[in-house]
Amino acid sequence: MVRPAGIFDVRYEQDIAVVRTIPQWITLGIFLLLLILLPQIFPNRYLLNVINTIMIVVISIHGLNILTGFAGQISAGHAAFMGVGAYACASLMIFGGLSYWVSLPLSGLAAGLVGILFGLPSLRLKGFYLAITTIAAQFIIISFFLHFKPQIFGGAQGLSLQSIRLGSIIFNTQVNLYYLIMPIAVIMTYFAQNIIRSRMGRAFVAIRDNDLAAEIMGINLFGYKLRAFFIGCFFAGIAGSLYIAFMRLIRPDQYSLMDSIWMLGIIIIGGMGSILGGILGVIFVKLLNEFILMVLTPSLSIILPREVASRISASMGLVAFGLVVVLFLILEPRGLAHRWEILKGRFRHWPFTYGH
Amino acid sequence: MFYFFHFSLSGIFLGAIYAIIALGIVIIYKSTKVFNFAQGHLLMVAVLLSATISPRFGIIAGMIISIAATAFIAWMLERLTLRPLIGQPLIAALLMTISLGYLLEGGALMVWGEGLYKYPELFPTEVIQLFDMTIKQEVVWAFIAIAAGFSIFVFFYQKTLLGKAMRATAEDHQVSQSMGIRVTHIFSISWVIAGLMGYVASIFLGSLSGGHYLNSHLGLKAIPAVLVGGLDSIVGAVIGGFIVGILESLVTGYLSGELGEVVPFIVLLIVLLIKPYGLFGLIRIERI
Repeated sequence: MVRPAGIFDVRYEQDIAVVRTIPQWITLGIFLLLLILLPQIFPNRYLLNVINTIMIVVISIHGLNILTGFAGQISAGHAAFMGVGAYACASLMIFGGLSYWVSLPLSGLAAGLVGILFGLPSLRLKGFYLAITTIAAQFIIISFFLHFKPQIFGGAQGLSLQSIRLGSIIFNTQVNLYYLIMPIAVIMTYFAQNIIRSRMGRAFVAIRDNDLAAEIMGINLFGYKLRAFFIGCFFAGIAGSLYIAFMRLIRPDQYSLMDSIWMLGIIIIGGMGSILGGILGVIFVKLLNEFILMVLTPSLSIILPREVASRISASMGLVAFGLVVVLFLILEPRGLAHRWEILKGRFRHWPFTYGH
Repeated sequence: MFYFFHFSLSGIFLGAIYAIIALGIVIIYKSTKVFNFAQGHLLMVAVLLSATISPRFGIIAGMIISIAATAFIAWMLERLTLRPLIGQPLIAALLMTISLGYLLEGGALMVWGEGLYKYPELFPTEVIQLFDMTIKQEVVWAFIAIAAGFSIFVFFYQKTLLGKAMRATAEDHQVSQSMGIRVTHIFSISWVIAGLMGYVASIFLGSLSGGHYLNSHLGLKAIPAVLVGGLDSIVGAVIGGFIVGILESLVTGYLSGELGEVVPFIVLLIVLLIKPYGLFGLIRIERI
């Protein structure tokens, strides 16, 4: 961040602060108030549905951002870890008889432990080799849910659940679900932002930049890599259990390789190694998705003959993903977060032109 | 025992296809340090092109056009999308080839739709009798293609000037640039060679299963083959391809099809835990 000339940090607390100035505190307060009041201001089911999905994916993306963006361990199996959380939560509720509020953190732990298991190769492997072992993890985990004991996990049909309850509140409408998901998303964002500026977060960045150098500086490489896997998959697990509260249904094909790749694409689009970037990336991709579904496909079917239009709309998801990621990688590899920083810099320094 | 031979035989054929795909991936990785996830998609485009052009303009025209098209697509991919990424972190190249693959898959779905296209019959249909087993001619031809391709590559890398330049590029980009090798040319050439390998694999895949836009997923299954053998070893690619193909069809035959899909990845995890650079991969000593 580039500040206008003459503004310095004079105390350590100032230097490490996330929210620096009083106007920023006020903006944060207004933002949180808006988040709380949002269902009252826009009581639109469709809008709330989109926002709920965005917040669930944001939680998962924070995990992937810590694992891949900060610690540099590429994971192409993040959707599968989300699935582990979802299945763990569902099994604990259905077969363990636990309430959702106990199985939510437990499912995060379960996903984290599975993450550690598949993170074990990271001690000896790096680069493409590690990325491909995570693809292997994706295939192995999903085929486990698909084929292991269909009488328990339900095979391809999956499991369906009842709505989550808290006392007399039933989380079955989008508004109620919003008040379930929103606080957790805010808390997880708070955690993610603070993990990366702790000692552990700095160790992650050192490992990402050069793991050998980091080890020589005294960072326990294996321990920190496994911690990165645990934290990343913990976030994924929490997101997965929220997703089953949202969908009330769990199927192996909700967590496909394509979803994992989408998540990697989201952190590229948003900006790797930036918590804000993760949020921006999810919003961008979700809006793009809704635009294709709601605007582009219907208008195509008006303009073009029916057969051509259906063919194009079938392939639109693949083409859109390919194009967006290719364009971002070539034109703005540092993602939306970087653009946002530039924009802020412009405003902050105006009318001067330094700093961007 | 009969079934064992039967499954092994189909495994060998599948393994040969994997081996040819893996060769293409290894050739690109050796010189550009990019793992090409889109190799299977190149092959899918080649199959579909041949299948649609051959009935109208003859088999030879179909062959020529699809060879030219695959080589051209491979060259364009390198030139337009991967060249700007030189110097970017690993994940950029990884995601780039994955998304190029999805782009090709989506494009194929847009152009050809979801139909299954019949591949022209390039091989004679009569089978070879060996004791009491029947062997299709494709299997023999696949073996010949592998043997020929392998010996051509060995000769190419050992004896020709271009091959030596490619090996030098694989070793170190900067050093070879300062020795007078045009590294960017080497990149283009390796992608074109990989595109041609994609075409060769497409011949056998086409006669095995016809043309469909989901053929590209075969490329995904060739990934364990590449890594089991070692990312930068040509011998490893061939052997890894056969290991994965035979294992897959034995497990599919004896246990279940679903397990057959996963077994290559489980084998991959085990092999990488024991030998992190694959069976034949070059072990690099890292320095800061």
